[in-house]
Amino acid sequence: MSEEGIIVLATIIVAGLGITLGTAIPALAEGRAVVKALESIARQPDQAGNLRTTLLIAMALLESTAIYVLLVVLILLFANPLIDRLF
Amino acid sequence: MDTIFPHVVFTIFGIPVRDSVITTWVAMALIMLMVRFLNIDALEALFDFLNDTISSLVGRSAAVYLPLLGTLFIFISAANVIGVVPFLNAPTRDLNVPLALALIVFVSVHYFGIRAKGWKDYLSDLASPAFLLPLEIISQLTRTLSLTLRLFGNVISAELIVAVIFALLPLFVPLPLAGFGIFTGLLQAYIFTALAAVYIGAGLEVTNPEVPNDQ
Repeated sequence: MSEEGIIVLATIIVAGLGITLGTAIPALAEGRAVVKALESIARQPDQAGNLRTTLLIAMALLESTAIYVLLVVLILLFANPLIDRLF
Repeated sequence: MDTIFPHVVFTIFGIPVRDSVITTWVAMALIMLMVRFLNIDALEALFDFLNDTISSLVGRSAAVYLPLLGTLFIFISAANVIGVVPFLNAPTRDLNVPLALALIVFVSVHYFGIRAKGWKDYLSDLASPAFLLPLEIISQLTRTLSLTLRLFGNVISAELIVAVIFALLPLFVPLPLAGFGIFTGLLQAYIFTALAAVYIGAGLEVTNPEVPNDQ
């Protein structure tokens, strides 16, 4: 297999594996955060505004690692510096 | 596809100027038109929303910090939403624009802290448990980096996904993705502003207060 063929193959495998893990793990973490937040809102409904704001900020922070993975995968697929053009 | 990545449009005295600069001017014009032509009630609602959010996050009256943080929110919202318009690209998809905004936040955290507490108090609060000082410095740099990458990654992946789907199925399918891009843009603007407010608030807190912290 040619040089470029091996790099393309590796890119595809890494992109697929990376995006799978990179979206599954943050999604699980966000689910756990939402569970706790909903329990707290159910226990103290008058604090709902405060809890909602904190939940939103926490989810954005959890989401950001997923975005980092997406960024790397997109760079690998569309702007890969090692090969001429994949897409 | 190639316009997704920023390219040089013209040069001034040999300095290349990218299309992100021009789109930033469009965003500025959009904001000025919005202020000129919007209902006064809408502007008051926006002001109240910003004031309440920033006061609760910084932990004290927001009057001093509202200009900077409110401007960040309004500018980033306008910049991200412009990316949805068909022939324009969001200026925040160029890595330099979120980097500049994050550096502004980084400098302003230290500026507001030193202005509120004075040189020595601010630096001694920064190095409170002295063995944590290297960790503190690294965390300052990491916070700036993560602000940049979060905003940049969200905007460029939204644009890239719309561009790819547009290349495959141009008829109606890109529309919900573009709508999702509007939502993501506004949410990321709010997150950027909220995190900046939290960092400024953390920089203002006194470790051993003689006066309670929310004065």
